[in-house]
Amino acid sequence: MTIRFDKLGVVIAAIVAYAAFAAPFATFRANRIVPGEARSILESLPTAVGPSLLEIVVIAAIIALLKTPLILRLVASVVALAALAILIGVAGDFLTPEGNTFARISPASGFWLLIFAFTLLLADVLTRLNLSPWARVGVLVVAALAIGLLLVSGSWNSLSILKEYANRADSFWAEGSKHVTLALGSLAAAAVVGLPLGILCHRVDKLRAGVLNVLNIIQTIPSIALFGLLIAPLGWVATHVPGAASLGIRGIGTAPAFVALFLYSLLPVVANTVVGLAGVPRAANDAARGMGMTDRQRLFGVEFPLAFPVILTGIRIVLVQNIGLATIAALIGGGGFGVFVFQGVGQTAMDLVLLGAVPTVALAFAAAIILDAVIEMTSTRRREVQTA
Amino acid sequence: MIEIEGITKRYDATTVVDDVSMLIEPRTIAVIVGTSGSGKTTLLRMINRLVEPTAGVIKLDGADNRSLPGYELRRSIGYAIQGHGLFPHRTVAQNIATVPVLLGWDKARIKARVDELMTLYQLDPEAFGPRYPHELSGGQQQRVGVARALAAEPHVLLMDEPFGALDPIIRNKAQEDLLAIQKRFGTTIILVTHDMEEAVHMGDKIAVMDAGKLVQYARPAEILAKPASAFVETLVGASEKPFRLLSLGRVRDAVEKGTAEGEAIPGDASQRDALAELLWSGRPALPVKGDDGKPLGRVTVDGLVKRAARPA
Repeated sequence: MTIRFDKLGVVIAAIVAYAAFAAPFATFRANRIVPGEARSILESLPTAVGPSLLEIVVIAAIIALLKTPLILRLVASVVALAALAILIGVAGDFLTPEGNTFARISPASGFWLLIFAFTLLLADVLTRLNLSPWARVGVLVVAALAIGLLLVSGSWNSLSILKEYANRADSFWAEGSKHVTLALGSLAAAAVVGLPLGILCHRVDKLRAGVLNVLNIIQTIPSIALFGLLIAPLGWVATHVPGAASLGIRGIGTAPAFVALFLYSLLPVVANTVVGLAGVPRAANDAARGMGMTDRQRLFGVEFPLAFPVILTGIRIVLVQNIGLATIAALIGGGGFGVFVFQGVGQTAMDLVLLGAVPTVALAFAAAIILDAVIEMTSTRRREVQTA
Repeated sequence: MIEIEGITKRYDATTVVDDVSMLIEPRTIAVIVGTSGSGKTTLLRMINRLVEPTAGVIKLDGADNRSLPGYELRRSIGYAIQGHGLFPHRTVAQNIATVPVLLGWDKARIKARVDELMTLYQLDPEAFGPRYPHELSGGQQQRVGVARALAAEPHVLLMDEPFGALDPIIRNKAQEDLLAIQKRFGTTIILVTHDMEEAVHMGDKIAVMDAGKLVQYARPAEILAKPASAFVETLVGASEKPFRLLSLGRVRDAVEKGTAEGEAIPGDASQRDALAELLWSGRPALPVKGDDGKPLGRVTVDGLVKRAARPA
């Protein structure tokens, strides 16, 4: 039997080899802002555990490297990820000197590379398994539950990022809900304004080029500049329009952040609405008119359902983009996870930066998976073979 | 009865349909033939007011077609187009039910009508009703398109190149089906095509259009025998004329006394098919049988050749 290599597996095995043997697994720092000292896998874990982790990682890498059955690759990636997730907590406990509350243990490049390599393997397996939309959401839920369980069980409590969290538990959830409100609220506003605007642009040729150009220009304004540009007009509104200030409209804070995110969201929503409506088959439209549908019946009965998957794609772009962009809102006092990022940068405390960045990335990732699944469900509903 | 009186359509400086008048008898098929750009589709679309005429009047059973709002008028007129225009996100049953739903029929009546039409078109309602259009073959999609146009029992059916996207064999079948259904419901059909063969085969009368003008409006035999202009002559196709003339007649009308050897041809077959069979088998005569299988007589090459000659 000849040994055959998996193309992606070669890359994964190379990353694993470097990450497991040459890169540091964890970083030890005497306190939260001094530079850290690197620790390898064997140094980070108790004598019995270190070699086992190396074994697991190496076996999983070999499975990835060779052409192996999908189910074996799935098991290998899940076992490796689970082992890494549990043992980084063990490393935290092991490396923290007894009774020392200043020492900080954080995952280092080797750990992150290993996570990256096996996530790549897992993602590849899941793609090749060609899972249904529901199954993909299911995988997401299981992963979220597993991470939640590890967080609740306290096995990661000795890691530096959770020590930062422990100091800021209240503000973490407050900023988190502000972050989500900003991202979702501006998306909702963009949908309420953008959908009718897109329909109007589709119907009125003259309007289309103008509106899309203006929205394009807004997209090119750097986000920090747009946040800044809005301070003056909103400040003016707050002082001159009665009642505006009591609604929370001010030059800095949530209002300009909300407005900026809303403006950024408009282009994808409007453009995708226009493209989606333009993609409705001419014959279907002609038939709809010829059979006596009114303009409204045609819009809601034919054009909109057929354009819906494309419009949803626009919404997906906006949601993922907004979750990321909302981080910048913290710069002008808008709140959100960005607060921790900028505080962390200010204090050169990388763990604090991560406390803001990791949940943002996780949220964006989850939003992308869920909306992709919804898009696939709406566009395949009409393609399903119904066996009645 | 459809009366088209002095209908003109102009877009800016170009006249697409130029002062066309014609009268379509109830329960007949009128075929509008012409090259692309002749204005035939625009003329058709002015009947259900998808296009509003610049001048002129169209009356349906005596009533001006502008006496109702456009969308209400269109619900009372069947409409089938090339490439069928089925709604890809709706099932076959939902597609067929489109106009009855717009008209607010009750559910039982809609279901009964959809089942009736699907059965008529040899599509099992149980099996095909819940399917989506992309799961059907081209011929089935076309049948669903026509069934949808007929759903609300319209007196008038407008068809814009309904068989254009079909392969020749399926097209023949679709044409026969349409003729049978027209007889059954007595629908008045106005059909647009660029195919003279189809026009001669389907039409009780043929309207030939060229550059927006109605050049000739007559029975197929007359169009073949006395083309009104060089354009009509070209459209008919000089070398095809005798065969098209024969295709209009049935074998039973060309029967002579006597007997002949070989397998009998049914009296319903076209004279063109009979001649083709005679020429191909190299025989001078064929026996003819009636619907009940009884012999009616025979057709001869000589007899058919005389019939293919230009009428006096």
